[in-house]
Amino acid sequence: MKNRWNRRKTLVLWLVIAVVFLIAVCISGLFCEDAARATDFSRKNLAPCLKYPFGTDWLGRDMFARTVRGLSISIIIGVCAATFSAVMAFILGVVSATMGKTADTIVTWIIDLVMGIPHMLLLILICVACGRGLKGVILGVALTHWTSLARLIRGEVLQLKEQIYIKTARKLGKSNLYIAMKHMVPHLLPQFIVGLVLLFPHAILHESSITFLGFGLSNEQPAIGIILSEAMKYLITGKWWLALFPGIMLVITVVCFYTTGENLRRLLDPASAHE
Amino acid sequence: MKRKLLAIMMAVCVTASFAGGSATVFAAQEESTAKDEVIVTMPTTSEPESGFDPAYGWGAGEHVHEPLIQSTLTTTNTDLSIGMDLATDYSVSDDGLTWTVKIRDDVKFTDGEALTASDVAFTYNNCRDNSSVNDFSMLKEAVAVDDTTVEFHMNTPFAVWPYTMAIVGIVPEHAYDENYGQDPIGSGRYIMKQWDKGQQVIFEANPDYYGEAPKMKKVTVLFMEEDAALAAAQSGTVDVAHTAASYSDMTVDGYDLFSVQTVDNRGFNLPATAAEEIDGVTYGNDFTSDVEVRRAINIGIDREEMIQNVLNGYGTPAYSVCDKMPWYNEEAEVEYDLDKAKEILETAGWAEGDDGIREKDGVRAEFTMLYPASDSVRQALAEDSKNQLAELGIEVSTEGVDWDTAYTRAESEPLVWGWGAHTPMELYNIYHTMSETGLAEYSPYANETVDKYMDEALKSSDLEASYDLWKKAQWDGESGITQEGDIPWIWLCNIDHLYFVKDGLKVADQKIHPHGHGWSIVNNVDQWSWE
Repeated sequence: MKNRWNRRKTLVLWLVIAVVFLIAVCISGLFCEDAARATDFSRKNLAPCLKYPFGTDWLGRDMFARTVRGLSISIIIGVCAATFSAVMAFILGVVSATMGKTADTIVTWIIDLVMGIPHMLLLILICVACGRGLKGVILGVALTHWTSLARLIRGEVLQLKEQIYIKTARKLGKSNLYIAMKHMVPHLLPQFIVGLVLLFPHAILHESSITFLGFGLSNEQPAIGIILSEAMKYLITGKWWLALFPGIMLVITVVCFYTTGENLRRLLDPASAHE
Repeated sequence: MKRKLLAIMMAVCVTASFAGGSATVFAAQEESTAKDEVIVTMPTTSEPESGFDPAYGWGAGEHVHEPLIQSTLTTTNTDLSIGMDLATDYSVSDDGLTWTVKIRDDVKFTDGEALTASDVAFTYNNCRDNSSVNDFSMLKEAVAVDDTTVEFHMNTPFAVWPYTMAIVGIVPEHAYDENYGQDPIGSGRYIMKQWDKGQQVIFEANPDYYGEAPKMKKVTVLFMEEDAALAAAQSGTVDVAHTAASYSDMTVDGYDLFSVQTVDNRGFNLPATAAEEIDGVTYGNDFTSDVEVRRAINIGIDREEMIQNVLNGYGTPAYSVCDKMPWYNEEAEVEYDLDKAKEILETAGWAEGDDGIREKDGVRAEFTMLYPASDSVRQALAEDSKNQLAELGIEVSTEGVDWDTAYTRAESEPLVWGWGAHTPMELYNIYHTMSETGLAEYSPYANETVDKYMDEALKSSDLEASYDLWKKAQWDGESGITQEGDIPWIWLCNIDHLYFVKDGLKVADQKIHPHGHGWSIVNNVDQWSWE
């Protein structure tokens, strides 16, 4: 038995569970948009019961449907923003490392600039400037999260450039493109993918945070941030279920993404891939 | 990265489960033990941003109320007729262009200087020049004829001027500068003693007040959200806590729920012209421009059910912007009749399509109903309207918007508004056309007859007699803004203002509150008492 469940297999199992959970939430969210927005005053303020496992709110909306829909919106935003952000980080990281000193100075300067401004502040600023809503949130999250990954990739490429096999390839007269595709990309890809996946939880939490603060999505959308900020007003009246379940579900989702990223890293990272 | 992520996760958990905790944080207050003091909570939006200056909306603002610190020329009585404060007598010339007001000669500001007609003239001229909130453009000039007589020369006749005189607090000419609002001097019932911005204002009774001495010697107003006010009541630290219908099922030991009738109405506009784009803004709506549609909607909404659903019963049906006011025309009242509403739509050619949504000449019976995103009551009203209109075969989607876009979008889409003031001008603001566009300001609509009655009403030299013209503007038997008329606005309900009041505190009789759940409650705080 011990043999069968080595660490690698456990990692794979968790990875699969996390991914299945995320996909399930994401897909079921697509199908419950109407249920999440439908109001019915004959069932308002119900505590959790069999029919409404997460209870209902003051407009008689099903909190389960709202939570699932909210998470699904969050996941979609997370995926869009993280992908956008990671691609940007990749391009800028590579540009910085390969296009000479001036390009490097400029990109490093931009990275320092973005990192120097408090994260949340910059996020709110960009989001509001881009007209809020889905577009604003995605752009805001994307434009504030690429820096650390870009720095990582820049360092990685700089290091690779000095490797003997790359130098040898160059001496053998291989073109830049050949070297990039054959020697660099395979080395960078795992870093990139792990970095990308680890951006998701950040993106989701930041999406919820700015929406909670009122700078993100509009409030007829059942986003998690909206649900939580609405719930705040009613907590004092003892309606604990309005915040508890969506809050826990948000944390579970974020943990799932985090597990996925960490496990992927362990599986792909040369140092731990053979455990 | 890992630690930071964990920190954010913790923050979310804490926010989610203990959000209520932050609400209970408010300025620590000593319990009012003395029996001539009272502590009242108000929404944070009631704190006057620009200070206690009538030129910047104190009293004479969007939400009208008595200015407490300053005296006014007139007041509104409980039945909303006009009473006297500083004025002893007023009259208007036959052409309606000159108002002459006699004032008392025994009034002193709290700095000891006498209040004279020149202070009155100064106040009004200052409001005309600088008022950022209210419109004083009808006033040409205020002139002090002698110490106790002031004349208002008008640009246009303005019969409802006494209602304006009831909300403009008189400021001292000798002690007025740009910082007046921060440290106001007046001649009213109370002196502002202390203002901790973002927290509280403390008023003390004016010992030299010319009228009946205030029974409450000290009034503390705390600014907080409704959930914090409820927590404050639960801990017994305040005497009057404002609250909302969604908290009305709570019981707080030692407090009773006190409900005040209002003309604080909620309703939505139905753009009455066909859609047309002018300078990039769409005016009008092809569906709601059909008067039969608007009539069907007006009787197809069950206001009683809505009040139960959304307000837990704490409200009254609204049929106009001025229900219960002396200038209200009762012809506006309608009965809920779903079948008749459907019949009207059928007769008008709006036939149900395959999906249950009506259609006529390629126009679908649908619109987006907007509501201010921060207002949960208006959101609930929009949602309930959506559900009710679905039964009529009208598809409504709802959307929360900010005020910076709401005004523009309301020109073509219904928006859930809140109105209601102690002046017939509210009718004028909503239904009268503007000369630049030929349409009403907030939602496209125009009717010459309605305009004509309101213009006549303003020209009238007798205020009481002008009420009749205001009523005719609503419905004169042939034309108007009611069900049988053009019905460009649908009024849903008047929201009762709710308060948790500590046992033993006797809150004096309230006149019907206008729009704004703030200062109105303390209009007569000087007459409150402890048992």
